[in-house]
Amino acid sequence: MTAPYSADQPLDDLDQAILDQLAAVLTRLDPPPADLDDRVRLVLALDDVDRDVARLREEHLVGAVRGTERTRTLTFDAESRTVMITIVDRPDGLVRIDGWLAPGAAVRVELRHPAPDPSQTVESDASGRFVLDGVPHGLAQVVVHPARGEHAPQVVTPALAL
Amino acid sequence: MSNVPVDRAGASLDRAARLGERLERARAGDRDALDEVVRELNPLLWRVARAQGLAAEEAADVVQTTWLELVRGLHTIRSSSALTAWLVTTTRRESWRVRGLAQRQTPHDAATLESSPDPDPGPADQLLSEERDRALWQHVARLPERCRALLRIVAHVDRPDYTVVAEALGMPRGSIGPTRGRCLAKLREMLAADSTWSPT
Repeated sequence: MTAPYSADQPLDDLDQAILDQLAAVLTRLDPPPADLDDRVRLVLALDDVDRDVARLREEHLVGAVRGTERTRTLTFDAESRTVMITIVDRPDGLVRIDGWLAPGAAVRVELRHPAPDPSQTVESDASGRFVLDGVPHGLAQVVVHPARGEHAPQVVTPALAL
Repeated sequence: MSNVPVDRAGASLDRAARLGERLERARAGDRDALDEVVRELNPLLWRVARAQGLAAEEAADVVQTTWLELVRGLHTIRSSSALTAWLVTTTRRESWRVRGLAQRQTPHDAATLESSPDPDPGPADQLLSEERDRALWQHVARLPERCRALLRIVAHVDRPDYTVVAEALGMPRGSIGPTRGRCLAKLREMLAADSTWSPT
């Protein structure tokens, strides 16, 4: 029979064995996304500069068309800007991203991929619209740079699984 | 219980020391060391975010945001224990924020948000192929919610670090030890009476 524990009693080997087993069971039942470490690595690889982290506000699955084209709309809020993107699966296995920034401005929008893949960069128009086409599936992160001469932080989204 | 490895406590102390050493290197700008810290602590942060009632995708975003916030404050953190506590606190705060946004958008039932993300008994039986794992999970499910919440976090924390556990659960630090003792004692009693469970 197990003696009652005092508050200060350290864990014994059986306690630790039970806790280790419980950790393994929890991971089996509710595993983190397989790419969670990679997502964190992608966002941490950004140079350490002044950043405004955009948080996911909402996600809509707009629908699958004939099972080939899937469309998702994601909205991210940062202090300085809102970034809305629509991700369209193309029939050829690539992705098109239609984006919109509010408040709108002509700025550089960068789509970062895990190393060693290079970033893709486009300019938004004055109303804040931009298009990134022919994007491969996989992890990516949107970085919205400040306008030239504007003293504002970069807006960065979390890593997205495209 | 002679077949239980005797060096578990030593192994987890080594783990804490290793984390501290990696933190030192990460602070000096070593990206690989930071990656290793991420790999080590992500399972805990994931569990903390899920325990706040977040959906999987929301929890993944919260974990990322937490690490981004850390990079800003890395120079202020001195020990591996302080690091883990800081990350856990930030994960909880970020989770509340996300939950608050979700609440404003769709009128979620408060009960849904507060409910624990424990999987239903059905899927657990299918996902756990080993009898001893199913046995453990069934007994854990019989514990009071306070015990389940505590053990979910303690299982992912070294030694366990009471400051970290208190931060993760929003419980007074002083009550962690006694609660942990009671919950584990109860669980051990149930497991000892179950012939389908064995410690290894």
